[in-house]
Amino acid sequence: MQASVGNAMEQGIAGCHTCGLAVRMQADGETECPRCGSEVHYRKHNSISRAWAFLISAFVMYIPANTEPMMRTTAFGNTEGDTIISGVVYFLSHGEWYLAVVIFAASVMLPLLKIIAIGYLLISIQRGETVRRHQRTDLYKLAEILGKWSMLDIFVVALMAALIQMGNLTSIHPGPACIAFALVVILTMFAEMALDPKLIWDRKE
Amino acid sequence: MLNDGTDSIESIAQRGTLFVCHDCDALQRVPAVEPGHDALCVRCGSRLFRNPVGGIDKPLAYIFASMIMFVIANTNPVMSISILGLVQNASISDAALAFIHAGSPELAAIVWLPSVFFPGLTIVGLFYVLASIRFDLNWPGTRTLLVWLSRLLPWGMLDVFLLGILVSLVKLAALADIALGIGFYAFLVLIFLYAASIASLETHTLWEHLGGDYERQFEAENAG
Repeated sequence: MQASVGNAMEQGIAGCHTCGLAVRMQADGETECPRCGSEVHYRKHNSISRAWAFLISAFVMYIPANTEPMMRTTAFGNTEGDTIISGVVYFLSHGEWYLAVVIFAASVMLPLLKIIAIGYLLISIQRGETVRRHQRTDLYKLAEILGKWSMLDIFVVALMAALIQMGNLTSIHPGPACIAFALVVILTMFAEMALDPKLIWDRKE
Repeated sequence: MLNDGTDSIESIAQRGTLFVCHDCDALQRVPAVEPGHDALCVRCGSRLFRNPVGGIDKPLAYIFASMIMFVIANTNPVMSISILGLVQNASISDAALAFIHAGSPELAAIVWLPSVFFPGLTIVGLFYVLASIRFDLNWPGTRTLLVWLSRLLPWGMLDVFLLGILVSLVKLAALADIALGIGFYAFLVLIFLYAASIASLETHTLWEHLGGDYERQFEAENAG
């Protein structure tokens, strides 16, 4: 093992994002990976501004996702809307606290924490911070893994709607929050993919 | 001659290969890695690559079994409920169909793509790539497919869907009689098989099989 390691970029080398091959970069920057054919670059293009754009859009969508109804239940002519929070409150009051915890964690906490985490990473990169690099890299990887679990409630609504189809008696329809939730998940995934974690390590101490 | 899935790593790793960390860009020389061990970045600790026990045979076996389970899980009802004598079945795709009936084709796509289409494409695609490499078949498009599979992987959400099934089971149990179908058990087995195939698979090994010479070429060009 080396005593000190430098960035590959300083040696004119980049790792292919797709297959991982170490590639000697051309002077003009346009380099194709000889092994898998993907375009190779030192850092993702416009990483910071693209990540911010996706992140802010995700945050905007997070608001209707939580305030609008997720599911509309029609029973005997009456239609009722359920938001995420009202569902959580329902389960808490009926003693099914574990369900309340799962839904609250996946639908309310996770997307918010992911937005805050990526926002923090972006700000720390823009300020050129050199501290806590390991922790910030770990935070990025955590955000990468956890984001998709916020799709949980959309799947639940879909399954409920598929099973409860009793004509005029009872039926379940998706509410406007469903599409907002899906957009939060998709946009935070785009933000996390646009953000290049290598930027955390670029500034010299 | 058949590849046993390990020759490439051993021959390259005798000297150590130049590696760029995917997470922090640290340039480093990575020595040989024993089967069952991981190579970690010397600077940030991220995993550079693994050398899974079982080479390509293991993920190929798991992915083949996943293919069978995927078909069973998608063609049988996951659960059925009965309310006042009315019985209603639901398969995985019915979840998406319910949103089409509700007049939201875009939501149906958002449910169907990560629960059926992306995982199915990943499973079939991986089988194609693994079989092509393992049996030296050189099937057309193996490289292109592997490039696209690595981009597709984050969008498959079988595990989240399973949790969705469990949550809706508890929710519906309060309202009606529920029976689990063959599709549910097949889906449960599928989750484990799929996770096992992803866990036993290392794309770095696959790329070495598809173009092992590039790393040595790079070494030769940059020896001076």
